Amino acid sequence: MNESAIEIEGLEFSYGRNKVLKGVDLNVPAGSIFGFLGRNGAGKTTTIKLLLGLFKPAGGFCRVGGLDPQTDSIAVRRTVGYMAEDQQMYGWMRIGQIIKWVASFYPGWDDKFTNKLLDMLELPKRKKVKSLSKGQNSRLALLLALGHRPKVVILDDPTLGLDPIARKDFLRYVISLLQTNGVTVFFSSHLLYEIEPVVDYVAILKEGVIVKSETTEQLRRSVKKLVLRGAGEIKPNSVEGVLDIERVGDRIAVTVEDCDDGKRSAVEKKMGSDIIREVDLNLDEIFEAYVIGNRGEAVSA
Amino acid sequence: MNIFVRIEPSSAVPIYRQIIEQIKYQVATGALKEGERVPSVRQLAGELAVNQNTILKVYNQLCSENVLKIERGNGTYVTGGKQAISLAERKKAVARYLREAVVQAIHLDISLEQARELLEKEYQAIKSGRRKSRSE
Repeated sequence: MNESAIEIEGLEFSYGRNKVLKGVDLNVPAGSIFGFLGRNGAGKTTTIKLLLGLFKPAGGFCRVGGLDPQTDSIAVRRTVGYMAEDQQMYGWMRIGQIIKWVASFYPGWDDKFTNKLLDMLELPKRKKVKSLSKGQNSRLALLLALGHRPKVVILDDPTLGLDPIARKDFLRYVISLLQTNGVTVFFSSHLLYEIEPVVDYVAILKEGVIVKSETTEQLRRSVKKLVLRGAGEIKPNSVEGVLDIERVGDRIAVTVEDCDDGKRSAVEKKMGSDIIREVDLNLDEIFEAYVIGNRGEAVSA
Repeated sequence: MNIFVRIEPSSAVPIYRQIIEQIKYQVATGALKEGERVPSVRQLAGELAVNQNTILKVYNQLCSENVLKIERGNGTYVTGGKQAISLAERKKAVARYLREAVVQAIHLDISLEQARELLEKEYQAIKSGRRKSRSE
């Protein structure tokens, strides 16, 4: 698993004066399922478009399957399966027609596999695209992204707008169609709890930079909420690695990353109080601590 | 599929631990019987929409605790449940769960005597459930 399917280094991009990516660094191991998380507007879709060579970076570079999307855009498109956010397809086409049309762009299109997918994803070949349900629509988009047997699959918020059952079905296909075959999956979402069961790694994008990139398991293990008796004053940015500080009644709750004995005693010393409880957090709470955590600046009240 | 697992995504308990606990529970109550074959890693991962590596970890852990055993090329089975880990280790593991129950008991004003009674009742109920489903 040392090989990288996607490498991003110092990637920068602006829309006019609006700097959206401010030096993104990311490494996606081959064969992994990688969750790319951020709030709306954090720059997820922009990063993905740069990976596909649709935009030109203002700085830094990226590689997909060892290829540079800027110079090898066609080769990248043949290696990658891409499903766009809220993908639009020609409504007047029948499923069979749109498959043929997309297939014509790929020399390596696999008809046998596509027929298997049609069956598995329960897509009727003769049905018109405009009459498909949301769930069928996303399954068709998935099929179109996979028909050329890509090594890397990039899914931009693929479960957006699906109901919970369709979402779970979709994730099931990701596991059984892709992970089982050693495909790398790069999966953007803003719903952490939904992708947690599926992903090996999580990266959190905030305001154009990666604030954390870690295995899901390690992230869960290393972020803790420490509860102290709230005797002491809270000082701004008191300890390295503090993500959030809040006062709850006569207690102070401090959320820290890379929690170990050193960090625990540093927090106790700064706060002048003992830790009375240590709480495990779920990934949503961890995500929240990273993206909107209060690091102590405004807790004087 | 003979394993029933319900994953609580909003829980602070990691997913692999949720699955381990539920499988152990099903073995303890006899819902999964000795010698019974469990789904393959791929099957269970696909069914639950959970990463294969997570399921692999669950099975490895359950094998090391001698709840399951892998027969090469032939699938994974429920063992007779003979524990490979030491008594001290097993006691420590149980104490972790009891601690939560004790906290609840104190909060809800249940005396030690009453808690002991409850523990006995639950223990018997699960044990007898196991015997019943075994004789089926």
